[in-house]
Amino acid sequence: MICPFCSLLCDATDLNEIDCGLRNKSLNQLAKFRSQLDPSFNESVLDPEMELAASIELLGIAKRVLITGRIASVQTARAAVALAMKLNGTIDCAEAGHIFKNVQAIQRAGINSVSLAEARDHADLLIVIGDDSLFDACPRIPHALHGQNMSRKTVLLLGGFTDKSMKAWQAAGFQPWSISCKLESVPSALLQWSNAMAQSSQDRMTSELFTALENAKYTAVLWSAASLFVEQADLWVERLLEWIASQNETKRCAALPWTSLDGTFQQVCTWLTGFPGRIRFQDGIPSFDTYAHSYENWLAASRDLDSDSVVIAIDETVATEPFRAKMKFGLDRKFYAIELTAGSVRFPTAVAGAEVAADIFRADQTLLAHLTPSHECDESRVRPAAYWLARLAP
Amino acid sequence: MITRLVGGECIDGVSKSEVRDLYLVQDTIFSVSKDARSDAEYNLSNHIVVAGGIDLHTHIGGGKVNIARLLLPEMVRHGRSQSERTESERTEKEWKKIAPLSSPVPGTWETGRRYLEMGYTACFEPAVLPANARHAHAEMADTPWLDTGGFLLLGNDRLLLEWISKGVPQSQINDYVAWMIRAHQCCAVKVVNAGGIDAFKFNQRHLDVDEKHWYFSITPRQILQSLSHAVESLCLAHPLHVHCSNLGVAGNIASTMATIDAVEGRRLHLTHAQFHCYGTEGPHGYCSAAKVLADRVNAESNLSIDVGQMQFGQTVTLSGDTMHQFANRKLARPRKSIFQDLECQAGCGVLPFKYRQDQYVHSLLWAIGLELFLRIEDPLRVFLTTDHPNGAPFTAYPHLIHLLMSYDFRMSIFERLHADVQRTSSLASLKREYSLDEIIKMTRLGPARALGLSNRGSLSDGGLADVVVYERCQNPEHMFARPKMVFRRGNLVYRDGEFLATASKSTIVANVEIDSTMDVTLKKVWPMQYGYSSDLIRIHQDELLSEQRNIEFTSR
Ligand SMILES: [Zn+2]
Repeated sequence: MICPFCSLLCDATDLNEIDCGLRNKSLNQLAKFRSQLDPSFNESVLDPEMELAASIELLGIAKRVLITGRIASVQTARAAVALAMKLNGTIDCAEAGHIFKNVQAIQRAGINSVSLAEARDHADLLIVIGDDSLFDACPRIPHALHGQNMSRKTVLLLGGFTDKSMKAWQAAGFQPWSISCKLESVPSALLQWSNAMAQSSQDRMTSELFTALENAKYTAVLWSAASLFVEQADLWVERLLEWIASQNETKRCAALPWTSLDGTFQQVCTWLTGFPGRIRFQDGIPSFDTYAHSYENWLAASRDLDSDSVVIAIDETVATEPFRAKMKFGLDRKFYAIELTAGSVRFPTAVAGAEVAADIFRADQTLLAHLTPSHECDESRVRPAAYWLARLAP
Repeated sequence: MITRLVGGECIDGVSKSEVRDLYLVQDTIFSVSKDARSDAEYNLSNHIVVAGGIDLHTHIGGGKVNIARLLLPEMVRHGRSQSERTESERTEKEWKKIAPLSSPVPGTWETGRRYLEMGYTACFEPAVLPANARHAHAEMADTPWLDTGGFLLLGNDRLLLEWISKGVPQSQINDYVAWMIRAHQCCAVKVVNAGGIDAFKFNQRHLDVDEKHWYFSITPRQILQSLSHAVESLCLAHPLHVHCSNLGVAGNIASTMATIDAVEGRRLHLTHAQFHCYGTEGPHGYCSAAKVLADRVNAESNLSIDVGQMQFGQTVTLSGDTMHQFANRKLARPRKSIFQDLECQAGCGVLPFKYRQDQYVHSLLWAIGLELFLRIEDPLRVFLTTDHPNGAPFTAYPHLIHLLMSYDFRMSIFERLHADVQRTSSLASLKREYSLDEIIKMTRLGPARALGLSNRGSLSDGGLADVVVYERCQNPEHMFARPKMVFRRGNLVYRDGEFLATASKSTIVANVEIDSTMDVTLKKVWPMQYGYSSDLIRIHQDELLSEQRNIEFTSR
């Protein structure tokens, strides 16, 4: 079985045996969806066929359409991009733009990267950058990196990690080093260290650390864009990538940029259109602009516009943080997550990978897993997002 | 549905080319019809009728293609292609000229459309990373109009390297290869720089055919031996598909010859062979060794190649060969590149690249590719590829066909090459001009046979009715740029620039069975190597099936 609740996609014979706070929280959330459906839900979808007909008509006259939200599966991403193209709409499913911190840096500097199983099997030094929120979002990263050659593996945590994160690594069988420092300074610190490495140090810990860095044959550097709260994060990532590239002149070193569930949308949108999202279609042709076609910018620009502007917001995850935007359509089950404007419609949508089969990319964007549903859902009411999106097409 | 194609010249390389009628009865080709009636009839005088084109080596799906797209958004230029112009806008000249792709690595929708617009109906992704196979199939599913298949990347997977280094019995390797092929629903085995991609992860920067991998202490020769043996034992239709050691390195013809020796007479396909045909003589330390390879292919019937012909201009190179892509990183234009070490299985390197006529090695490469085409006698064993997008985009095919069919046209470009290439290349002495029959063989029948697609590639009775009609034209580039009609499974799906109907698609998969003992073995060792169960990566047949999609099995 594969756990659908974070981009690590933990795989176990019995997922119940996995001790994971995020999974427990997500299961509770899912149970809530299933026991008490949102009140507005019953009102708004008394007759889905009628609602669909009215919605298609509304979309037919709309001048501006935005498709946004939390898409986790290949199936929904495909349907969403196809609908955006048919409606000459804008599509941006990068929540808070996290993924574009990495994308923009890669588009300027390129990248040396490594996938999860390779880092697990082969890296003798793991540099993990961020703070505790990294492990709140994906609690079992340390377990996933526990490989066959543990005696050779050094883990170095850099940034704002507390004892909580240290314990998480220890629980997975590692003896990590942790150095607290400002996240902003990590790329330059790495550069200084590698420059200073030849010099011997007085301080025992620093000297041991230098030895670990110097002796490392294969270094993997992990961070998560969603937990990277620094100014001009894309430039930060670019500097880090440059350091990694420079290491490869003499040894091996690679990035493991951790991606949330929204990586799947980015992959699908890229293969269908050539762009990773934030695109606007005109006459079937996409144009890409990381600023102009972001959903935040779209919403800001349409604040004063009238009903010609329509937003289709999709959420097929159990994320509990609200995704706030004034929406015409909500494809989700969380009445608090999407603020609907008056007269708007909500189509009850299944959770990808939990209630409906879904193909989801693991965080390293290398492995694509096929998840079969672990929880049945009432298909007469709750449908896959891709179903609604296909039906909304003119 | 019965369609009668009246009076076209039928060319397929199997029967004699002649003007005759052809019947498409449902999805099947017949030369005569039992039924007197037909539902549609097309008069095709002054047209040729051929089978759908088959591209056996084109990078159309999966991780490295997608990461190349991600890297290069600035290269996307969307013009309206001819098919999107209205009739009145379409001048005769525009109609005949093929429009460029929107990018060296366009999206899947565009890829499928543009291939069909040239008369191609089946394309094969030649480098499917096992862990990424589901992704590759998903992209191919989103590539409309085309039947697709994938070649599974083996030979740098650590499990295999470890087993070879431990000297496990060949039968165990055979079972492993069968399991991998079937679990990932692929149709052939591809090796890229045998052992070299993994060696690079150990910071080894060079690996020749008889050099040892630093960690596993085995040589590429051993890997090639073992895998070619497995491919034969499993009766896979397509021979071992090999990207040789020492890509692009001066003198690499020696490695290419050693690779051929390594398979000990078993069938072998060498891919993008033009990049593996360098000698060290001549100006600037590089010269053409195309004759050496061509002589060998002519002499040994177990060998086939595709060329990967380069065209001048901007493209992006993407290869599993991280070792050599990394070595070339400073040649990237624009100056950015991506290198990935992937999943204890392989890797990839993505490098944007501009081929220039004023550059000696680039000019030489162009000449080497054409030399290979012209020196290899049997058009059924040399295939028309540009290794899209590595040598050029696939839309270069009509131009390439023109180069092969016309000595004068070839020379008109040769005269513009780097002076040292003009001075030293033997290309000018090769007067051969491909016939139309030979072009059709190398783009249809040849790849169909090489892939075991017995119902494709010809116009024989009972064949699959994927049929293309081109209007005869003096200039082959104009003729092959745009067919008059394309039929898929007997349905007219494209005519005069208009797409008429959607078409069903097939995924081509090798017909091998999974051995239960190997299944048990992998259930045990897979989680140790990868951290997840072998079930997680297994692609079930159902995942490849839908209303519009089915599976076809091939074997030898
Ligand atoms: Zn290739």
